Amino acid sequence: MARPRRSRRTLTTVVVLVLVSFTIITIDQTNGTHHLSAGVKSLASDVFSPLRNGVNDLLRPVGDFFAGAVDYGSLQTENQKLQATIGRLRMAEAERPFEQRQLQEILALQHLPFLGAQPTVSAQTTQIDVSNFDVDITIGKGRSDGVGYAMPVVGAGGLVGQVVQANHHSSIVQLITDGQSKVGVVVGTGSHGATAVLDGQGPGSPMTAVFVAATTALRKGDRLYTSGLQGAQYPAGIPVGRVTGTRVSAGGAEITAQVSPLADLGALAYVDVVQWVPAS
Amino acid sequence: MSLRAAPRVGLVIAVVLLAQSTVGLDLRIAGVHPDLVWLLPIAAGLTAGPQEGALVGFVAGLGVDLFLPTPLGLTALVGCLLGFGVGRATAGLSTSGPWLSIVAALAGSTAAVMLYAVLGAVLGQEQMLRVDLGSVVAVVAGVNALLVLPTVRTMRRALGSEPTSRRRTLASGARW
Repeated sequence: MARPRRSRRTLTTVVVLVLVSFTIITIDQTNGTHHLSAGVKSLASDVFSPLRNGVNDLLRPVGDFFAGAVDYGSLQTENQKLQATIGRLRMAEAERPFEQRQLQEILALQHLPFLGAQPTVSAQTTQIDVSNFDVDITIGKGRSDGVGYAMPVVGAGGLVGQVVQANHHSSIVQLITDGQSKVGVVVGTGSHGATAVLDGQGPGSPMTAVFVAATTALRKGDRLYTSGLQGAQYPAGIPVGRVTGTRVSAGGAEITAQVSPLADLGALAYVDVVQWVPAS
Repeated sequence: MSLRAAPRVGLVIAVVLLAQSTVGLDLRIAGVHPDLVWLLPIAAGLTAGPQEGALVGFVAGLGVDLFLPTPLGLTALVGCLLGFGVGRATAGLSTSGPWLSIVAALAGSTAAVMLYAVLGAVLGQEQMLRVDLGSVVAVVAGVNALLVLPTVRTMRRALGSEPTSRRRTLASGARW
């Protein structure tokens, strides 16, 4: 019995849509054509962002209400701790206005010692974790402000991540804890420090330093810095993380270390984009 | 889907995407935020069948992909398959009661999250499988189950569908 016409049309529609989806994915993932999809994403972001920001400002009390309802218990505890801290601070020094604290955060970024003479662009974080499957932030600066694809991003304390999408007025930064992040690092500050690769393990999990030679004297508390070796994604010397544990591999050929980031990734109100582009 | 329904459906998609990128991102349960985009193909599949479900899922997914760092087209692919799957699985069933919609939202959202993670890993985004998928599924499916009934009503109005339109298909003897 012949398939009814509507059934054939439905199947044809679905097959066409699936093929179009795969075509779009292929265009996005191919190096030679990726710039096309990146351009479309950038255009969409530039068009949609003003509307989203306007609606966000209107709906912020609603979002805060839901967020508060879900986190009410932990907010209460944190509130009590904060009140105690405020009481102690009031005794020690004069109370500072909120704007002065923000200004100090921004000034702290301007004097990060490890950046040297590298030009930077300071940016405010506007969104956190746009997707449940990526660890990233959205910042309010883009190509028009000098931010480019693959530029490193730092926060007070150390390396934060890398720009993975630079739109006209905003950018998405993949954090170093993201599962796709890989950072070439060196242990210690000496020129003969052991090198390793720091792998992000996803949200809530410590990073892992792999390919560390078994003869390396690696201890808990040791600091890791970007290696800046040829072809590296980051310039040399940026503090990245601190070793929290080590494990020798089964064959004893290498050490795997657990690393926590030095930058406080839970408090990224402001970050600096380093205007440095990898060679590759 | 008629040409007259297209602008109405487009408006529904735009409103849901706007809600997702504003209020949706502020609401976090165990560090996970809702994914309202899956509601659209589920609602379209329930109210108008697999073809409309696939179309709405594709368009809504493509809209979301434009603002995510993940591969462009991935959400569109999953949305298309989700809408088709929900529409096909519920073909011939009465959509006037609430329970079918809630079950479809729970099952559909679960399938969408898992498929999204697996397809993403196949495309080179292995980090998608390192996420706590249990928490993501629980939050996404739970919130979508709560919001599916008003979404189905809205989609039904936008598409101009009736709850009994699917039973006409059964009566004609057509099989998907």
